[in-house]
Amino acid sequence: MSTVITDNLTGKTAAGDITITSEGGAATQSLQQGLAKFWINMDGTGTISTRDSLNTASITDSQTGVYQYNSTNPMSSDDYTCVYNAGNGSGNSDDSTNPGNSFSASHPNTASQAVMETMNDVATNIDRQYIGGTWHGDLA
Amino acid sequence: MAGKIIADTIETGAGADISTSYVVNGSAKAWASWNGAGTLAVNDSLNLSSISDLGTGNYQMNFSSSLNNDDYAYNFTGNGRAESSRFLHSAMDYTVATGSLQMYWSGSLNSSWGVAYCDTNASLAVIHGDLA
Repeated sequence: MSTVITDNLTGKTAAGDITITSEGGAATQSLQQGLAKFWINMDGTGTISTRDSLNTASITDSQTGVYQYNSTNPMSSDDYTCVYNAGNGSGNSDDSTNPGNSFSASHPNTASQAVMETMNDVATNIDRQYIGGTWHGDLA
Repeated sequence: MAGKIIADTIETGAGADISTSYVVNGSAKAWASWNGAGTLAVNDSLNLSSISDLGTGNYQMNFSSSLNNDDYAYNFTGNGRAESSRFLHSAMDYTVATGSLQMYWSGSLNSSWGVAYCDTNASLAVIHGDLA
C-alpha cells in the first residue's frame, strides 16, 4: 500500500484541476469539481445551532422555517448546486413526512450566501430539528 | 507531461489520513442547476451532457460519463417560482438508468393539500455513486 503525505494537492498542468480515474476505469473526472464545497448538519428549532459543518461562517434564523447560510470561502458564482433535507425526527406527523424543503424564492443565492425554507404539507413555514445541506460547484 | 500520483492513502502533515477510495467514491459524480421554466436553461453542471424537458415538471438529466450501475444516490432541491401558486415539495417518480436520471417535480397549492407536477425555475441535483 502506498501513502501520499501532504497538506496540499495542486494540479500540475492547471492548479485548480486534478483528475481522478473513475471506479470502473472508463472515465476521468475533475477532483475539485466533485467535492462538496459546503455542508452542514444543524438544529433549526429554538436557538438554532450547527452540529457539524464545512466552510460555514455562520447561520442565521431569519424567521420561522427560513435559514440563511453564509460560507467562509465564497463560490465563484451564484450558479452552484445546493441541496437540503429536513425533518423533525418525530417520524409520525405531517410536518416530518412532508418537509417541502426549498431554497428561498425571495432570497436568490449569492456567491457566499444561500437561504432555504422548510415547510409543512400546506406550504406553511415551520422550523425543523434535523437539517442537512450541501453545496457543489466551483470555489472562487 | 501531466504529473500522476498512484496511491491508496492521502495523509496530511498533521497525520490525518484518508483512503483515496473515499476521495474517489465520495466525490459527486454529477451535479446540475437548471431553470425549467419556459425554455430550459442549465446554469452550471458537472458531468452533464444535456437536460431533456419531457413535459410539465418532467426533466431528464443525461450524463456525459455513465454511472457504473443504477444504484447511485441522488438528492434534489428546488423552488416552484415558475408556478407562483404552488410551493415545490420535491422531485419524485424517478426513472433511473446508468446514463440518465428522469424525475418529476411536484408542488402543493398554497394552504390546501393538492400535489401536482409543476415546472420549476430552479432545480438542483447532486449524484453520488461509481462512474463506469
